[in-house]
Amino acid sequence: MTLPTFILKNALRNKRRAFLSVSSVAVSLFLLVTLQVALRELTLPAASPGAELRLCARNKVSLTNPLPARQRAVIEKIPGVEGVSPFTWFGGEYQNDGAMTFAQFAIDPKETRRVFTDLNLTDTELAGFESEKTAAIIGKISADKHHFHVGDHLTLNSTVYPGALEFKIAGIFSGTADDRMMFFRQDYLDDSIGTPGLVGMWWLKVKSAGNMAPVIQAINAAFQNTSAEVRAESERNFQLDFISMLGNVKTLIASISTVVVFTLVLVTASTMSMAVRERFRELAILKALGFRRRELFAFILAESFGLAAAGAVLGIGGAYALYTFGDVGKMTSGIFVSFQVTPRIMGWAALVAALLGIASAVAPALSVARMSVVNGLKTLD
Amino acid sequence: MALPLTYHFRNARVRLRATLATILGISLVVAVFVLVQALAAGLVQSARNTGDPRNVMIVRKGSTAESSSQVALEQFQIIRYWEQIARDDTGTPLVSADVITLISQPRLDGSGEANVSVRGLTPVGKSLRPQVTLVAGRWFTPGQREVAVSRKMAQRFAGFHLGDTFRTAGKTLTVVGEFDGRNSAFDSEVWLDADEARAIFDRQNYSSLLVRAATPQAGRELMARVEADKRLPLLAEPEVKYYADQTATALPIKVLGNFLAIVMSIGAVFAAMNTMYASVGSRTREIGTLRVLGFRRRTILAGFVLEGALLAAVGGGLGCLLALPLHGVSTGTMSFNSFSETVFEFRITPWLVAKGMIFAVVVGVVGSLLPALRAARLPVITALKSL
Repeated sequence: MTLPTFILKNALRNKRRAFLSVSSVAVSLFLLVTLQVALRELTLPAASPGAELRLCARNKVSLTNPLPARQRAVIEKIPGVEGVSPFTWFGGEYQNDGAMTFAQFAIDPKETRRVFTDLNLTDTELAGFESEKTAAIIGKISADKHHFHVGDHLTLNSTVYPGALEFKIAGIFSGTADDRMMFFRQDYLDDSIGTPGLVGMWWLKVKSAGNMAPVIQAINAAFQNTSAEVRAESERNFQLDFISMLGNVKTLIASISTVVVFTLVLVTASTMSMAVRERFRELAILKALGFRRRELFAFILAESFGLAAAGAVLGIGGAYALYTFGDVGKMTSGIFVSFQVTPRIMGWAALVAALLGIASAVAPALSVARMSVVNGLKTLD
Repeated sequence: MALPLTYHFRNARVRLRATLATILGISLVVAVFVLVQALAAGLVQSARNTGDPRNVMIVRKGSTAESSSQVALEQFQIIRYWEQIARDDTGTPLVSADVITLISQPRLDGSGEANVSVRGLTPVGKSLRPQVTLVAGRWFTPGQREVAVSRKMAQRFAGFHLGDTFRTAGKTLTVVGEFDGRNSAFDSEVWLDADEARAIFDRQNYSSLLVRAATPQAGRELMARVEADKRLPLLAEPEVKYYADQTATALPIKVLGNFLAIVMSIGAVFAAMNTMYASVGSRTREIGTLRVLGFRRRTILAGFVLEGALLAAVGGGLGCLLALPLHGVSTGTMSFNSFSETVFEFRITPWLVAKGMIFAVVVGVVGSLLPALRAARLPVITALKSL
């Protein structure tokens, strides 16, 4: 019998225990990966293609305060600006869907091609959006969820404006960071129930990356000391600012992860000691046969490492498979759109597993090293 | 005859290390379970602490939050002198026309900015919200660019302490008072005079009206009258109900709590099973002896399940104790209703503790069932012969 087979046989001599230990490690690592991915999605959301050239300008007071529409003429004249569109929150509810309704924003259809370059719409769809006042375009996730097709009509009750609007779907977009949103026409909103002369915020695109900083500065300066001061920032920063509003959620998830890891170490270490204690006598015999402490330690380490590795493969692999091939939007009832298990997170989880394998071998190895052969041989347990 | 309880306690002592690890493992799982639920409970309680049963809240029909509601001045004038509304000693109707604005303010810990609810209220508005009391400084004077800030917000945001100033909408505002909202939604607000707020934030309309009804009957009449009046596209409902509906933020927390409970309980069951199997394995001979002494299979089964449940219950109790220090600690997140920072406290209610204990015992029973079955099924002779 070779050493590896000896270790393998030892690990599997109590198959039930091996199974239970591997499973509990796997479940914990699965949870750890899930929490870390959730944390990453919350703190570092996916950027849309083209985001590096886009910036947002909102009312300096807060996101919810409107901006005067007349600012547009000023912004358009700033050198380096490629296109400007209003971006107005409608807060519509679809069939009393409640808080989980897709978000809708009013934009300028003529600027769609210039500013919102990541929509992947066909020319016919874009033309439809540009030509019909009630036209709207909607993300694929929402379209699939509510079974919308091009040409369908839908009515949304606004929670912000008094009344409801009826829309006709002109196109379904995909490939943005959030394929749940709906865009419709600012002029339609203004003409029906909106507050003409006011928009939610400005969304614009600059000609090149070098224009970004100067344009941001120019916009901020242009409206300084006016009744509606503006805060412009890159789309990415805007996204991150939005997320920082979530507050203590980050701490919460990080603390839960820590507790999970701690519990994991505790339980696995205890299992390993159990496995070793069970064969104290055997180890004493090995010692009597002339095996060194070092070798005995290697046996125990290899076994606990193996258990942890098996658990890691199952737990991390399982999480990867579930979140990569499963429908996360459905699983989290729309809270998360993407749930990307990154190599970095998997690496960290694997590292935790490796450390776990080592840490849980230490206590049993120490007691084996300390045991006297005679006492070990006498052990009945 | 059942096995005496002392038998199980002694057993736990013999295998102290493994027992302690299991107990501690279960206790951590229970602590996480209880704490996440305590967050949701805190949010719900904060909403519950807010409404006054005598008050009626009036917002625009269709708006889900005060901050997105609008009530025009004419609408306020129509309602203001209705006879259903209570009056104070001087004969002033108890109606507060409020303006809610969100302002973006930097957090004190430097982790970026968040929206803060600023409420402009009519002088009488303070007496409609008796849970709010001044704890430092004084109330604001209208027209002096003064505000009062909730003490909890003062601890979270820059420029909100007594005597501080902060800039918004091109104006500098001075904090002249700190108030305590007794764990109500007002703990997440900054207060100033309503008309001053309209001037500062360039708002024509009010956001909402809060009205004290003269009697409960008058309150019902008032709500019906708002509904019937064609000039008023408004919705009047009890303030209590309005705030009870403002707890959408608790939903994702509950989802997280349930997810954690399920996954962690699976892990905990595996761990408990491991311990119990080992315990049964090392007591094979003992179990054989018990059988010879006349204890029946089902007694052994019940005994081991009981042992698992006891172990888990101790773990559960410890978990609740571990969670307890966080009771009353305040925390905050963005409310999905108001779109602004909402502060609330961890609330570990007796019902939550009971839920945690039940959760622990279920884990213990499920985890020990199979090992107990194995113990009960051991053939007597072989068991006696084993080492």
